[in-house]
Amino acid sequence: MDNRKIALIFLVIVFMIIPVYANATKGTLSDEAKMCLGCHSIKDMTKALESKEILSLYIGGKEFSDSIHNMFSCSGCHPDISMEKHPLVKKISSKKEYSKNASKVCKNCHPDQVLKKKPMHGSLIAQPKAPACAECHGSHDIKRIAELKAPLTESQYCLICHKYDISIPLKSGEFLSLYVDESVIRRSIHSKLQCGACHAGFSKVEHPIRVFKSKRDHSITAGEGCGKCHPDAQEQYKGSIHHIVLRENNLKAAVCIDCHGSHSAVKVDKNLGLISCDKCHGDVNAAYKLSVHNAARIKGKEDAPICSTCHKSHDIEVTAMTMKMKDKCLECHKDAEKAHKKWLSNPPFKLSSFAEHHLNKVACALCHSPGASGGVYLCLYDQKTKKPFSKEDVLKLLGTDSAGLIGKLDTNRDGSIDAPELWNMVKQLNEKGADVTLTARMDVRKGTEAHQIAVKKEAVRECERCHRTDSDFFKEVSVVLLKSDGRPRFLSAKQGVLTSVLSILPVSEFYALGSTRLGLLDIVGIIAVLGGIAFALGHITIRIITSPIRSLRKMGKGGKE
Amino acid sequence: MKKMYLHPIPVRLWHWINAACFILLIITGIQMRYGDIVKLFSFETAVDIHSWTGFILIANYAIWFFFYLFTLKIRIYIPTLNPIKFAKESITQALFYGYGIFVGNPNPHHPTPDNKFNPMQKVTYLMIMALLIPVQIITGLLLWDPKFFSKFVNLLGGIKIVDTIHVVLFIFFTAFIFVHVYLATLGHTTFAHIKAMFTGYEEEEEEHESPSISI
Repeated sequence: MDNRKIALIFLVIVFMIIPVYANATKGTLSDEAKMCLGCHSIKDMTKALESKEILSLYIGGKEFSDSIHNMFSCSGCHPDISMEKHPLVKKISSKKEYSKNASKVCKNCHPDQVLKKKPMHGSLIAQPKAPACAECHGSHDIKRIAELKAPLTESQYCLICHKYDISIPLKSGEFLSLYVDESVIRRSIHSKLQCGACHAGFSKVEHPIRVFKSKRDHSITAGEGCGKCHPDAQEQYKGSIHHIVLRENNLKAAVCIDCHGSHSAVKVDKNLGLISCDKCHGDVNAAYKLSVHNAARIKGKEDAPICSTCHKSHDIEVTAMTMKMKDKCLECHKDAEKAHKKWLSNPPFKLSSFAEHHLNKVACALCHSPGASGGVYLCLYDQKTKKPFSKEDVLKLLGTDSAGLIGKLDTNRDGSIDAPELWNMVKQLNEKGADVTLTARMDVRKGTEAHQIAVKKEAVRECERCHRTDSDFFKEVSVVLLKSDGRPRFLSAKQGVLTSVLSILPVSEFYALGSTRLGLLDIVGIIAVLGGIAFALGHITIRIITSPIRSLRKMGKGGKE
Repeated sequence: MKKMYLHPIPVRLWHWINAACFILLIITGIQMRYGDIVKLFSFETAVDIHSWTGFILIANYAIWFFFYLFTLKIRIYIPTLNPIKFAKESITQALFYGYGIFVGNPNPHHPTPDNKFNPMQKVTYLMIMALLIPVQIITGLLLWDPKFFSKFVNLLGGIKIVDTIHVVLFIFFTAFIFVHVYLATLGHTTFAHIKAMFTGYEEEEEEHESPSISI
């Protein structure tokens, strides 16, 4: 085909198309449309549906003439209506149903293979709850996509589809709702942001397909976008126990949107933790609600502590078996040492160090949480680094893994560590190059008890609560191995590890008068005292028995008395 | 019967204050340590008495120390540096307590102000006064406020070791008191030595007299 012929065909096509296009853009309506609009341009024209909804039958002539379908006659899309016939009674159950049915006709011109050409659109319309064509694209005011997008903001464009109850199936079998409540976004602190600010990669021109294993997987991924605007918070979060746990594939670990919400994110309120932390730590929150701290909060006391006061917000740390909580308590209760010194002192001098010693060894909650059950917790301490000796190092030196650890330590397989086993543990570690000892601390047994702090007058003040062998606080003893991230692993130990002579060296820094007395010394004491008494009684007995000898001798030497 | 001024007032005062302190410390120590068995006082009261008494004992020890040091009477505690002589005298004294006393032999040691103790007493009291009581005082002080004295506590290897030393000495002193009181009755009469510790004068039988029977 020569160039002349090609040019001729091109011109013919152009001259055929231009009038149609020009007609369309000019907004010239068909006669049928003009006739239909004769009635349907009446604004009050409505129809009551079976669902009691009122369906407006009004069609804006201008909107229709501006739409891309303006060249079509009405019967093109409404095949049951023509200039000749108009059903008088047409039963319509609901607007939704009507839209769905009316949209069926779209496929006459827009077949599935075209509609599904774009994967996201294809996936959307394949859904059982997919909105009808008219719901997203409109009906009589349908515009070219480019024209549709132009006046809309990014968020408005996204909401065209996402305002509908659409969802996608996930690998887990769950359905992820893609519905977005616009009113929620409007109320959120992010109301002025466009969708793409958080949903990276999404815009009016881009809509990548992402695959999520589960709803949780989606939540976790969604949270990752927050760091774009909140890098400090995200950095802090990465050091938190939540993130550590998440990295270990514990998908229950809290991520940004668990606490802050997604589209509903509002300005952070001081009491956010009471709602967000409660989702996972409900038992602790319930205990807190009974505390003097919560009572103060309810009374409106500004500095009454809430979750984040003690645990921080993003960089949440493990606090068990550390001095962190004591330090937190003292941040607010600055005169605590002074107050304790008033009654917790050793005469004749009142030194604050004596009270301080108690505060270092006994968790505040143990005395200030009424009815709290207590225990003694022995932690390995590295004397070289002056830090806790980590569980990882223990496993490495003992040549075992987490599962095999208890078997390695509990050599007699009785389910708990006794004094010889504790001695062996420290001995083995030190023989393999470590320089460890055990530090001990008294603490509450349950996390909930640490939060149920009561008023001062209810606090334990009786020395005997601790300083007695039969003290409840000493009945539960645990060896605690702290992971390098601070998470504890509790290994049950026998009470005897504190009172055995074998504890003198491994637990040399812990001693509670009356409670951790060495059993061996009790026996030595009894033998020694009985020995002293026996010496005196034995000697005097022999003196009594031998008194005749001395009498005789005295008489012999001194003559008759 | 001759009388000898053996115990000057400072020594007698020190002795009886020391005795009272020891008894109080032992009783309160038992109460603190065995609170689940002994119910004489509350733990708090026991601690208060123990602490006060401990400091009185320290002050009292200072009286003893300075009195004996500045009057040079400290030498009465020093055994002879001649080991053979010391061994001989000790064996003789031990034989007296273990045999001679029963058959009416005279006590080989005759106390004088300059030679108050027999060799066995010298070595025992020297050990007690120069080592055991100071160690008991020091460990007691460390336990009195382990935080304040934490450097020293750590130097000794930890509070449990300090406590163990304190308790071992408590056991020794408790057992020793029974022996000490009994030995105090072994004068020429049952209460001769005890009376002397009140009056200062020790009565001693004349050489020509036979030993009295005292049981």
